Amino acid sequence: MTTRAHECLMRMYEEEHNLEEYQGSIPRWCTGCGDNAILTAVQRLCRDEKLRPEKTVFVSGIGCSSRFPHYMKTYGFHGIHGRALPIAEGIRLARPDLHVFVNTGDGDCCSIGAAHWVHAIRYNMNLTVMVHDNHIYGLTKMQASPTTPKGLRSKTTPRGAWLDALNPLTVTLGIQNVSFVAQAVDWIPELVYDIISRAFHHKGCSFVRIIQRCPEFLPNLFDPWLHDPNRTLLLTHEKGLHVSPALGKLYKNQQEYDPTDLNRAREIASVEDPIPVGILYHNPEVPCYEDVRAITQLRTPEFIQRGLETELDKFTVWPQAAD
Amino acid sequence: MGPELQAHVAFHLTGKRMGASLQAADGLHLRPGLLARFGDLTRLRYDFPLVLVAGRADETGIQSLTALVNGILQAIAPRGIEGEATRRHVLRLEREIRTLAANGDTGPLSRLWDLAAERIGAPGDPALAGSLGRARAALKVDGEVVDCTYGLPTRLITHAWRALQQQKAERFDREITRLIVKLSDILQADFVRSGAGTSAARLKASVGTGMEDAFDFQALSSTLAQVSGKDPLPDSRRQRVERALTVLKAHRSRGQAGGGRADDLESGAFASCRDAQSAFRTRLPEIVDVVKAIAIAELEIEGLYVEATHDPFFADFDESSVGAKDLGLFPDYLVCIGSEHLHGPEHAILMEILASEMPIKIVVQVSDVLEEPALRAGHRGFIAPAAQLGRMAMGLGNVYVLQASSSHLYQARRGILAGLTFAGPALFSVFSGSPHGARTLPPYLLAAAAMQSRAFPAFTYDPAAGPEWAARVALDGNPQPEADWPVHEFGYEDEARQNVTEPVAFTFVDFIACDPRYARHFAVVPQAEWNGSMVPVGSSLTGAPAVAGKVPYLQMVNGDHALQRALVDEKLLSAAQRCREMWHSLQELGGIHSSQAERLLARERKGWEEQKQREIEALKREAKPAAPAAASAAAAAKSAAVEAAEPEQPSDDPYIETPRCTTCNECTNLNNRMFAYDANKQAIIADINAGTYRELVEAAETCQVSIIHPGKPRNPNEPGIADLLKRAEPFL
Repeated sequence: MTTRAHECLMRMYEEEHNLEEYQGSIPRWCTGCGDNAILTAVQRLCRDEKLRPEKTVFVSGIGCSSRFPHYMKTYGFHGIHGRALPIAEGIRLARPDLHVFVNTGDGDCCSIGAAHWVHAIRYNMNLTVMVHDNHIYGLTKMQASPTTPKGLRSKTTPRGAWLDALNPLTVTLGIQNVSFVAQAVDWIPELVYDIISRAFHHKGCSFVRIIQRCPEFLPNLFDPWLHDPNRTLLLTHEKGLHVSPALGKLYKNQQEYDPTDLNRAREIASVEDPIPVGILYHNPEVPCYEDVRAITQLRTPEFIQRGLETELDKFTVWPQAAD
Repeated sequence: MGPELQAHVAFHLTGKRMGASLQAADGLHLRPGLLARFGDLTRLRYDFPLVLVAGRADETGIQSLTALVNGILQAIAPRGIEGEATRRHVLRLEREIRTLAANGDTGPLSRLWDLAAERIGAPGDPALAGSLGRARAALKVDGEVVDCTYGLPTRLITHAWRALQQQKAERFDREITRLIVKLSDILQADFVRSGAGTSAARLKASVGTGMEDAFDFQALSSTLAQVSGKDPLPDSRRQRVERALTVLKAHRSRGQAGGGRADDLESGAFASCRDAQSAFRTRLPEIVDVVKAIAIAELEIEGLYVEATHDPFFADFDESSVGAKDLGLFPDYLVCIGSEHLHGPEHAILMEILASEMPIKIVVQVSDVLEEPALRAGHRGFIAPAAQLGRMAMGLGNVYVLQASSSHLYQARRGILAGLTFAGPALFSVFSGSPHGARTLPPYLLAAAAMQSRAFPAFTYDPAAGPEWAARVALDGNPQPEADWPVHEFGYEDEARQNVTEPVAFTFVDFIACDPRYARHFAVVPQAEWNGSMVPVGSSLTGAPAVAGKVPYLQMVNGDHALQRALVDEKLLSAAQRCREMWHSLQELGGIHSSQAERLLARERKGWEEQKQREIEALKREAKPAAPAAASAAAAAKSAAVEAAEPEQPSDDPYIETPRCTTCNECTNLNNRMFAYDANKQAIIADINAGTYRELVEAAETCQVSIIHPGKPRNPNEPGIADLLKRAEPFL
């Protein structure tokens, strides 16, 4: 319920924040780390969308990427391994007025947090989920993650990874109620920003996989893609991504693609080379769990007391009954 | 010109019957031929009667008996012959309910249902009783049954208003309660952090007696005192929150004291504009207080109240600070008034309300659309000023207007709900006929005739629909809205007992012909005098050359269903033309036959055609030399394209492709005076003199995305320059 006075005063209050005002502590990521590009894009988004820092929360699990909340001057929750999503869901339910972002990594999301990932997609709560996928466990010094390419040598796979890498996009697109799936690469910051912005504006669980470089442990893994723009496929559409003329000059490998086609999205998501970048799937009609289960009853002290008493009375031994 | 034709022309021009052949229409019980088929409305399945379902604030609160029965039959009667008996039984019942309603029997549908079932003999007919029993079980709603009577507009709109007010009051009460809870939370949070809140006695009381021995409350209190916040709520904020709480609680108490709600709602219904305006003004100070408290509460709950900014605003908070949106939170007022009472001050207050932002909805029940023109009274048209109230209100701009006949109210229910929920005043101008007038037609037919004839066309004007009139004005519900008059097939038997069907327009003259007060404007022509110099009114009104000089007549039927031709005098024809002009102006507002648009379109079309013609002629002239010219143009274009495609020449100055920077910190770590970040946190060369060419080259080499271009050295004497130039080559 808003009054005209409230609206006027809100406009009077409307604050402009510059990018520095969203910067928390100085990042301790390695120099050259792709996480920096994501951090910058998110800080730009917060500034451009005029998000109030006290109304914004970043939730993470464990890993390099999960240090993200420390570097944002907003609310943050550096959670436990693999549990960023359920924590974020809890925040969403308890505080629907907040903008909730999740920063998780390929290990945090796709390994120990895989169960939560699947159900978060199915619940489709209004979250902006960024999976920082550097294909390796960096924080613990180079162990194979679920997305590590087959054959890559690591501390846990000294003879090379035995299995084909898990594709977070195809998995997500196979889950019921999926509503937004996108992919970005950290070395095209313009698109990282655009895609996260699209994800933020989607009402539902926006799943954005951001392929990023780990200069410390996999310094050359993405060099072929960095040095050959044709190995990046930009998905453009009036309902999807718009590529600026300057970027289009460099990245000529573009495809007009309608992100409402789930089957086509699954096909494109399966392609690893060239790397598809853009909105792969978008369906704004999927209901959000918090809306489906919205509680209209105001939780007044009387209401809570009545509920508690009803529950506790079930266990009360009444003197008459005891007789 | 023979004497008969002379008499016809004379009547048409003067309204006087000359000669003995023309017969006065008085007392002949004539009605327009197009209405001949509608003798007994109870035999007709149409929108009425309606069922007003209580407690529903949407379209389902107003249902048509016919639609309800259709729904029931779809649910219980199988398709084909198997369901035929059930359909027949239920339709008999529907007709009986319609008859009861037409005879003035009122009450809930359930009561009329039982009564009708009894009257058609259900108790003695097991098959009928079985069908009706199944139908009754499938009937999911109940409510007052109302027919299209003179009192329908007030009854129907009041019903919808009451349901909406109930819904609004409940929603507002919930919101006020939410604000109270949230404001109380602020005070409660402050208390639990305070010394009193963390005292041992308070902690003990909060645990209860069962486990109190398990705690050292003193120690707990000391611990909490150390970790609790040190800053209590400032006094000014506490007082502000408490004041807002007091106002909101008092408002909620008053609302809840209304208890039964229905009685409370009735206090918002009035029979005069003056009373409603007075009631609103009496209540205004309370509204201002509550709106102010809500605004403060919202800011406090959001944590956005800034005393330096907001205190001055709220210090001057008064009536002028309250807008239509704020007023929309509170119960509306409803005025139901007959057009015959809208004179003098009452009319002035009505216009004052409509020109304001007062949340007052006004139903004007127009009992008479027609008025005998009187030069002394200053008007020559047949349309009464009361019937033009809707158009006048539309000119005020910010008022919701719905004009309709009572026969159209069921179709217009969405518009009624939109008007009742509009944030501001609304006018519902509804023609229902007068219970005191001559009863030649049932109210439904009379109302429908008014709309068909354009005498009282239906329209809505919704300022909330958009800034353009095209979005605001809608002519929904009018028959054949693009035509001057609706045209219907009229069938009859001629002298040879052959069926004849011809298209006949239902005009303003037809509507006047329904009213015996204006019978003197008609003169019945004996069948022997029917001739080719007579022309139907609809044709006459077209003004086509073929009808010039012909005498207009109206096809009518008498009580024996015999076809008659009634001549029409010139006054009526002029009135019909005036009515058509008013309809045209309404059409233009509604986007039909917009003269401005058509004029512009014609101008553009003409310009376009001329332009094309010039182009064609130019092409023809240049047809021969065009080939070499086109070739050279194509060559030039190709050359330009090649030039455009060529890569840009490398610059001698160093530069960074800033939009592609990934903020990896490599360059800024190397030299944070030479390299810096812009407002988007992407790298730029901040000061080229703050570093060496070597640093530029090293930055280019370490840049992960190769976007640093070192250019040419500014100092050719820099040590190792030859090697640096070689290293810089890939990045130039």
